[in-house]
Amino acid sequence: MSNGGGESGREHARSNAPRKSGGDDFACSIAKVAVAQICEREGFQTFQLSALETLSDIALRYIHSIGKAANFYANFAGRREGNVFDIIQGLEDLGLVQGFSGASDVDHCLACSGTVREIFQYVGETDDVPFAHAIPQFPVVKDRNLTPSFLQADEEPPEEHIPAWLPVFPEPHTYAQLPAPDEGATETMVKIEQKKHRKGDRSLLNLQQRFVFNTLKRPSSEDPVNADKGKQVGESNPFLAAPLQYGEKEVSHVTFPAKISNEATMEDHVAQNHVMDNRVSVMEMFAPAIDALQGGFVDSEEGQKKVFLNRRPTVQFKIGTGKKSFGNLSPQNEDFEKISPWFGRESEKDEKKMRAEKILKEPMENPQGLAQL
Amino acid sequence: MNHSQQSNEAKHDDDAALSEFLASLMDYTPTIPDELVEHYLGKSGFQCPDVRLIRLVAVATQKFVAEVANDALQQCKARQASIIKDKRDKQQKDKRLILTMEDLSKALHEHGVNVKHQEYFADSPSTGMDPASRDE
Repeated sequence: MSNGGGESGREHARSNAPRKSGGDDFACSIAKVAVAQICEREGFQTFQLSALETLSDIALRYIHSIGKAANFYANFAGRREGNVFDIIQGLEDLGLVQGFSGASDVDHCLACSGTVREIFQYVGETDDVPFAHAIPQFPVVKDRNLTPSFLQADEEPPEEHIPAWLPVFPEPHTYAQLPAPDEGATETMVKIEQKKHRKGDRSLLNLQQRFVFNTLKRPSSEDPVNADKGKQVGESNPFLAAPLQYGEKEVSHVTFPAKISNEATMEDHVAQNHVMDNRVSVMEMFAPAIDALQGGFVDSEEGQKKVFLNRRPTVQFKIGTGKKSFGNLSPQNEDFEKISPWFGRESEKDEKKMRAEKILKEPMENPQGLAQL
Repeated sequence: MNHSQQSNEAKHDDDAALSEFLASLMDYTPTIPDELVEHYLGKSGFQCPDVRLIRLVAVATQKFVAEVANDALQQCKARQASIIKDKRDKQQKDKRLILTMEDLSKALHEHGVNVKHQEYFADSPSTGMDPASRDE
């Protein structure tokens, strides 16, 4: 038992938590019946429901507090299981408010504690009234119905490598005829779903935008061209932006400097696509390069070219000049001879820049070299 | 020497009395069922396979509840006595002893539990009464 503040705090915490099992309700109603029986014996004829509930709740807390104190004393003495003296200590702790005989004695014997004597007295005075109903042992734990193993079911495992102690397979018709789900298909499905979601978000955003514009009484809000504008406003204003979906990361948008983007459009299709979009995220840009690094390199010429093309944007980002990267990446490769005539002329132009680039490239190249070895 | 022997004997007596009391608990059936006490003791982290200890806790709780109820009963009786002085004619009608929140909170306060009595809680004081005596 504690003071009122603590009680109310615990009450609050408990009311916030969702009730998980019906076991506690069951226990509470049992306690209510028991407390009602005790009160009836004391001479009460009827109850206010709230009073009965309060009293039974306090009785349960009393039990809980005794258990807690006894457990504390048991652990304090270095024991895991409590004994009589722990419980007597706990009872004395709870009885301190009222006081009991011998409480002032600091090191009195627990066996002759005043609380125990009082309980002894109480037991002698009152005749026992057993609980009105028969109670099953609770909380009831349901036995799980386990699937029998091959051994128990007296079956032979269908394959040799399956040990007999594993549970039996379900009926073959439940899994045999179903086609295995295609991973690619599911992935595309997921992507389509995501796109749909995004579209939905955008249209919602547009709607919001229109609403805002209408309230501001701007005539220009009516034309549909404004949708794009609205999107941009939404991007600049974090409060108008569509909320991130679960698992999505917030990535800052990157716009290309004009010069580089021009170069990129001339030479690289992939980059062109990205630039056309004009709001390419860093993650999107780096994704091919990262994929290539992680997936390992294919040792054919085509594969290498592809890798280079894919990696171009990363080089442009860091250095600002796209052309050097080509000649620069190859020296460690076996196909250097084939590629270098194509780009060698350009790389000769500026040796210093090339070297600087090479140093920058070094860490990127390492995994590739390892893979090729 | 003599004194310590005496105290030893007294201690021995106390131990014997305690174990006897615990043994007698096996015959005594507390109103609060063992299963309930076991459940809540287990919830509080206390574990002990001994049924006698569970009985002890049950009896202690029962004693506590009985004391509180008794206190509330005294409060109730005292209150009724003061009312009846004014309205002697209603004495016959309103003789029932009802455990109310008001009395209970007073009784619990003596045992160190602060229960705030909700002022405007709409709980009928005549729950469990037969409808004939309900109208006032």
